[in-house]
Amino acid sequence: MVQKLVVEYEPELIEGFDFRRAMEEASRCLLCEDPPCSKGCPSGTDPGKFIRSIRFRNVNGAAETIRTSNILGASCSLICPQERLCEQECSRCGIDRPIQIGKLQQFAMEYERKLNKTYLSKKDTYAGKRVACIGAGPASLSCAAELAKQGVQVTIFDEHPKPGGMLRYAIPPYRLPDAVIDQDIHQLEKLGVKFRLNDKVTTKELGKMKEEYDNIFVGIGMWQSKMLTIPGADLPGVVTAIEFLSRAREAHGKMPSLGNVVIVGGGDVAMDCAATCKMLGAASIYDIFIETIEGAPAVQKEKEYVFKLGVPLISEFKPVEFIGQSRVERVKFEHMSNGSILEIAADTVILAVGQTMQSEAASWRDSGDIFSGGDMVNGGDTVVRAVKEGKEAAVKMMESFTRR
Amino acid sequence: MIMKKDLSINFLGVHCENPFFLSSSPVCNNAEMISKAFDAGWAGIFYKTVGINGMDECSPRFDITTKEDTPWIGFKNMEQISEWSLEQNVEEIKKLKKNYPNKVIGVSIMGSNEEEWITLAKAITEAGADMLELNFSCPQMTSHAMGSDVGQNPELVRKYTKAVVDHTHLPVVAKMTPNISKMEDPAIAAVQGGAHGISAINTIKSVSKIDLDHLTGLPVVNGKSAISGYSGNAVKPIALRFITQLAQCEQLKTVQLSGIGGIETWQDALEFILLGCRNVQVTTSVMQYGYRIVEDMINGLSHFMDERGVDNLEDMVGLAVNNIIPAEELDRSYKIIPAIHLEKCIGCGRCYVSCYDGAHQAIAWNSETRKPEILIDHCVGCHLCLNVCPVFDCITPGEVIFKDGRDNNRNGEDIVKQLVYQ
Ligand SMILES: Cc1cc2nc3c(=O)[nH]c(=O)nc-3n(C[C@H](O)[C@H](O)[C@H](O)COP(=O)(O)O)c2cc1C
Ligand code: SF4
Ligand code: SF4
Ligand code: SF4
Repeated sequence: MVQKLVVEYEPELIEGFDFRRAMEEASRCLLCEDPPCSKGCPSGTDPGKFIRSIRFRNVNGAAETIRTSNILGASCSLICPQERLCEQECSRCGIDRPIQIGKLQQFAMEYERKLNKTYLSKKDTYAGKRVACIGAGPASLSCAAELAKQGVQVTIFDEHPKPGGMLRYAIPPYRLPDAVIDQDIHQLEKLGVKFRLNDKVTTKELGKMKEEYDNIFVGIGMWQSKMLTIPGADLPGVVTAIEFLSRAREAHGKMPSLGNVVIVGGGDVAMDCAATCKMLGAASIYDIFIETIEGAPAVQKEKEYVFKLGVPLISEFKPVEFIGQSRVERVKFEHMSNGSILEIAADTVILAVGQTMQSEAASWRDSGDIFSGGDMVNGGDTVVRAVKEGKEAAVKMMESFTRR
Repeated sequence: MIMKKDLSINFLGVHCENPFFLSSSPVCNNAEMISKAFDAGWAGIFYKTVGINGMDECSPRFDITTKEDTPWIGFKNMEQISEWSLEQNVEEIKKLKKNYPNKVIGVSIMGSNEEEWITLAKAITEAGADMLELNFSCPQMTSHAMGSDVGQNPELVRKYTKAVVDHTHLPVVAKMTPNISKMEDPAIAAVQGGAHGISAINTIKSVSKIDLDHLTGLPVVNGKSAISGYSGNAVKPIALRFITQLAQCEQLKTVQLSGIGGIETWQDALEFILLGCRNVQVTTSVMQYGYRIVEDMINGLSHFMDERGVDNLEDMVGLAVNNIIPAEELDRSYKIIPAIHLEKCIGCGRCYVSCYDGAHQAIAWNSETRKPEILIDHCVGCHLCLNVCPVFDCITPGEVIFKDGRDNNRNGEDIVKQLVYQ
């Protein structure tokens, strides 16, 4: 039997392990002393512990462990680059291949969702304190959850209609369905966190908020896409990755025809764009980047996935010109070292060459009297790292409450 | 498969092409299915226990035990004897004997009084069977005059065996229940009654697990369950223990043994043979995997004999019997310190955890390098660590240390060579 490659853009759920398969995988786990996998997780999700719970038929315990340290445990199970975090550290690599930690985490989180379980509870350590979190992305959500668990009244502000930030608007739904994001958000709601959506905070309003709240956390990510300063970059048909991905997601994949697509970039976002284009029925797709295949920053799993979908990955070419009359028609590339020239027809060009902060964010971040975390602080990294930074900010905030 | 040695062996005067038989159970309920089994390579069967009347069975009737992801560690059944009447079964047996004159047709029978035992013995003998097996051992009969309740009573075993032996010219095997502490007693009674062979074990009385919703055992039959027989690979160690005791019993030296309980592979079967069985019987693994498993039993055993230069299966019967000795006679003069081969170690720490929590705190753990180290002074040589290490041959038996003044003039190397870990 040939394994079928799933190419649905907006699946309701992503197929996971049933109990038997989970047990099979948990039995492969060596149940290490002081588990290296747990050290490999930035947010301390403790796979060594939750896998052991699954092995001893305590799926509740597994889900509880995940939730306790990672408020985005369900989303992370699907989108973490496990192969360079927990799974990279796995002792079992010394025998054959690592435990599929993400799959086991997904299994425990599905259990939570199916049974509509709640594992987190609220203490009243800091009852009466009020905190505003700006941005409803991973860092903010994580900070909010940590505070809410200790009784802080948290309000999250975000300019988008739905919470989740990049989870909701950049990561495509075939990797992270809405239901899973909602599951994570639901945990925050159960902790009493309030959301103020469609509400873009200005610098002036921020000033007022500093009076109103005991503390402010800013985690507004990096929504500004980097552009290329080459001829034709402003031609219609040239779009940024985040713009493309969020439009596709909002339209549930029902977009005007993409025609021939050229994607520029070798990171995970570029791979997401490539697969999305495939699922949306682009006529042809080429993903071209300046790095070598191995050197391209996307995780191996994603590169392989895109390749299996039939998207050619072309390495070591840099774009030098977008060519066209009223719209982009072709893109010209030049080899990084040997002078070869490549010209490819394109109706759509997607630039996935990195993100940067919006202009006001830096001044907010550096203003000193507020806390911040996530991409805008670390320069753009994983969701799970943002979770960690959100937690750390919350801990510092609470220390400051105690000191006062 | 290519390798096929002569595995034939004589069991109770009957020539068997190999020692592998199906044991009495639904794996040999009727002529049609048994024909398939014979074609697959089984040398013989013990036909599903025949009674005077067919049984009234419940649904469902099975449950399995599982460890981690491994199902069928053990198997529980609530089935009694044949659902068919004596007449129907006689027809099946006649058909089989006609179509398979060279296969061995043993038939299991069970009555509830002397008269029934005699009726059954006569009818099955006339039908053309090659041997009889007396089922004194089914633990879930609805009548207390039948099954393991009889098998626990040496007096009844002797009486019914004699009744059968007096009414047949066929070899008679008495099948023992393990639901007893001393199997030798009913076995000796059967021999006194005239039995030529003993087979063991039938299933072990069990409650496999409790259903947390219905608050009863499994399988659930209209909200209830019953204690009933447990079989499969989990019971093999218990079966081997009973076989050992039967094989070592002086009063049973004249009878031949047929081993049953948890056999799945040629290795399992060979273990029974090494403990004195000339015949082995299988049910649960056939229920799980089908008749085809006999192919690897025949082939695997052939390869083994070829490797060891054994030409007759007979030569291996009972070779291990005298190596199982009372605990008080074991050599307690030394300890074998395990050797950890650090180049293979993957740093999981399992040896450290088990030695600390379940043995003698004799492994030091370096949390920086993630490497274990044996502390010889603390190590007692229990080898728990060898058994938990997940890496093949990473921890092996190492230095032999004799306790003070007790070296008995032997050298450590030879002692280590006797240990085989898999
Ligand atoms: C479903 C089932 C039905 C059985 N029925 C009988 C039977 O009718 N007569 C009998 O002597 N033993 C019966 N047995 C016991 C088996 O013949 C055998 O002694 C026991 O299962 C242990 O062997 P195993 O581990 O290979 O299954 C039955 C076992 C099972 C699982
Ligand atoms: S490192 Fe790997 S084998 Fe060890 S506990 Fe973690 S997942 Fe299991
Ligand atoms: S042999 Fe026993 S006591 Fe010695 S190190 Fe291993 S587990 Fe510990
Ligand atoms: S159990 Fe084996 S692999 Fe694991 S630390 Fe010990 S010696 Fe190394």
